[in-house]
Amino acid sequence: MIARRDVPARLVERRELSPTCFSLLLATMERLPAEPGQFGMLSCGQGLDPLLRRPFSVAGVRPLGSGWGVELLVKEVGRGTAWLRRAPLGTILELLAPLGHGFNLEAAASTRAALVAGGIGLPPVLFAAERLAETGAPFDLFLGAATGDELLEIKRCRAAAGAVGGKLVLCTDDGSVGEPGFVTTALARRFAAGQRWERVLACGPDPMLQALARWSVTEGVVAELSLEEPMACGVGVCLGCVVELADGRRVASCKEGPVFEAARLAARWRP
Amino acid sequence: MRVDLSTAVGALTLANPVMAASGTFGYGLDLLDLCPPECLGAVVTKGLSPAPRAGNPTPRIVETAAGMINAIGLQNIGVEAFCQEAAGELARRGATVIVNVFGERPEQYRAVIERCERAEGIAGYELNVSCPNVDHGGMEFGHDPHQLEALTALCRAATSKSLWVKLSPNAPDLVGTAHAAVAGGADALTLINTLRAMAIDPYRRRPVLATAFGGLSGPAIKPIALRMLYEVHCALPTVPLVGIGGIETGSDVVEFLLAGASAVQVGTAIFRHPAAPLRILSELEDFCVAQKVGELRALIGGLRWP
Ligand SMILES: Cc1cc2nc3c(=O)[nH]c(=O)nc-3n(C[C@H](O)[C@H](O)[C@H](O)COP(=O)(O)OP(=O)(O)OC[C@H]3O[C@@H](n4cnc5c(N)ncnc54)[C@H](O)[C@@H]3O)c2cc1C
Ligand SMILES: Cc1cc2nc3c(=O)[nH]c(=O)nc-3n(C[C@H](O)[C@H](O)[C@H](O)COP(=O)(O)O)c2cc1C
Ligand code: FES
Repeated sequence: MIARRDVPARLVERRELSPTCFSLLLATMERLPAEPGQFGMLSCGQGLDPLLRRPFSVAGVRPLGSGWGVELLVKEVGRGTAWLRRAPLGTILELLAPLGHGFNLEAAASTRAALVAGGIGLPPVLFAAERLAETGAPFDLFLGAATGDELLEIKRCRAAAGAVGGKLVLCTDDGSVGEPGFVTTALARRFAAGQRWERVLACGPDPMLQALARWSVTEGVVAELSLEEPMACGVGVCLGCVVELADGRRVASCKEGPVFEAARLAARWRP
Repeated sequence: MRVDLSTAVGALTLANPVMAASGTFGYGLDLLDLCPPECLGAVVTKGLSPAPRAGNPTPRIVETAAGMINAIGLQNIGVEAFCQEAAGELARRGATVIVNVFGERPEQYRAVIERCERAEGIAGYELNVSCPNVDHGGMEFGHDPHQLEALTALCRAATSKSLWVKLSPNAPDLVGTAHAAVAGGADALTLINTLRAMAIDPYRRRPVLATAFGGLSGPAIKPIALRMLYEVHCALPTVPLVGIGGIETGSDVVEFLLAGASAVQVGTAIFRHPAAPLRILSELEDFCVAQKVGELRALIGGLRWP
C-alpha cells in the first residue's frame, strides 16, 4: 500500500509565477504516484543548515522523459524557499513522496464540487482541478489572493474548470482583480442564492479554512481542508505536526492528513 | 575485508552499534519501507507511560541553526496499546527492542516495566528521567541523585532485563547523577537527552513554541554530547555508555565510540533522512575498512589522550 519513496530529484525547470511565487519541476527516475492533496518532503539546502526538509503539496505528476516529473508551486517565505528559488537548474534535491492522505476525488467526482484555493494554497487544488477535468467531472473553482499579482496560474485554472463547464471565480482582498473580498464570502453568497455544491475541497491560510469549516458545518456541506502544520519528519514519527480532532485525539497531520474533513476537526477550527 | 560491527551494552549483544533514538522512530513500525527496524542495532520506542497522553499544544517544533527544538510533551499511545499493537510484530521481524519509559511518579515507571515484562520480545528498558516528579514539587527525577537512585532501584527490582538510564544534560551535576543511576542498579547509561532551549519570534515578540521552552537536538548539540559522554566515561570507566546527540555520519559514530560509547542512537537525523541509521551504518563500515579496523569494539574508549 505504501508507495512513498525517498529519491534524488533533479531540478529541471523553474517558472516565476508572481512577485513571491514560482513553480518547480523535479525529475525523478522512479514513478511517484501522488494523488491531489498528498505532499512531499523536499531538501532545501545542501549542508546541515537549514537542517530539515520542507513539506510541499504536489501540484501535478506526469511521465517525463524516461522517468517522472513532479510539479510544485512555492512561495518564498524564508530560508528554505529562498534557496529553492535560487538553486541552479540541474541541482539534485532529495524528495520523499508521496506522503499523507489527499482529497477524496472519487466522492468529489460523483457530485458537483467547489474547489477553493487561497494564495499559495493553490497547488493541491490545482492538481485536484486538473484531475477532475481529465475525468470529465464538473466543478467550480474559487481562487482568492491578497492582490491580483498573487493570483497564480489563472490560465490553467480557467482551462481546467472550462473543460467541464465549470466557473472560475476570482477574488482579491484589494479588489484589483475579480470580486473584492474573500473567496469564502463569494462562495457563501452564491450558495445562499441557490447554487449547490455537496463537497468543497480547499487549501489556503488558516483564517480561510476556518471560515469554510464553520460555513460548511452550518450548511451541511462536506468540506475537505488541506492543513499546514509545521513538520519535521513528514512520516508520522516526530509528532510535531499534530492536529486536534473533535473527539479530542491529537493525530499526526502528515499521516492522517494533511487533508481533513472539517466536521472531524476540533472546535477551534470552527470559531 | 570484513568488519565485525557487533557490540555489547552490558549483557546485551547488538548486531551493530546504531540504534534509533526514542521519539524519532515512533513505535518501530512506521518506517518499515524506508528503514526496517530489524536492520538496526536496536530500536528505542517513543517514551511510554501507563496511560496514553495527548502531549503539548502546538507549535511543538521549531528549527534552529543546525538543530531543532521540540516540546512534544511525551504524547504516546500508552504501554498497553504498544504491547498489543506493536511488540509482537517487532518480535516477529527480529528487531531488538528497548522500551523508553517515563512517568510522573516512580510507581508509573514500574507499572510500564511490569506490563512489558508480560509482552514478547523486549530486550530492555531505557528510563527517561527528564520528567518532573509530581511527588517532589515537579523536580525532574534526573536532576536529583537521591531520587534517581531510588527510581532506578525500584525499576531494577521489576526486571532482570537490560536497564539503561538516559541522563539529562540539564542536570546540575551530571557525573553525580551517573553515579546515582549505577548505584541504583543501571546496566548502562545513555546520554544525552535534549538540552533545554527556546526560540523567539522577533516579529510577534513571542516564544515560538506553545510551551516557550523545549529540548534542543540535532548536529548543534553533538560537541556538548561528546564532552558529556567523555566526562562520564572518565568518571565511570567500566560502565557501558550509549552515545546520543546530533549523530549524522559514520565518523560521528566513531567519535562517540572513541569517547567511550559502546553503541549510539540516531535521532533528529531520521527526520531529515528516514533511512539515516542505515546510511550511517554503512559509512561506519567504510570507515573501519579504510582505517583497517577489523572489530568495531576495538574503537570503544580508544581516545588517545592525554
Ligand atoms: C502539507 C503541507 C503542504 C505545503 N504545501 C506548500 C506548497 O505547495 N507551496 C508552498 O509554498 N508552501 C507549502 N507549504 C508551506 C511550506 O512548507 C513552508 O512555507 C516552508 O516550510 C517554509 O520554509 P522556509 O525555510 O522558506 O521558511 P522558514 O525560514 O522555515 O520560515 C519562514 C516563515 O514561514 C513560517 N512557516 C514555516 N513553516 C511553515 C508552515 N509549514 N506553514 C506556515 N508557515 C510556516 C515560519 O513561521 C516563518 O514565519 C506546505 C506546508 C505543509 C505542512
Ligand atoms: C521530536 C523528539 C521527540 C523525542 N522524544 C523522546 C522521548 O519520548 N523520550 C526520550 O527519552 N527522548 C526523546 N527525545 C530525545 C532523543 O531520543 C535524543 O536523546 C535527542 O534528540 C538527541 O539526539 P539527536 O540529536 O540525534 O536527535 C526526543 C527527541 C525529539 C527530537
Ligand atoms: S511531521 Fe513528524 S509526525 Fe508529522
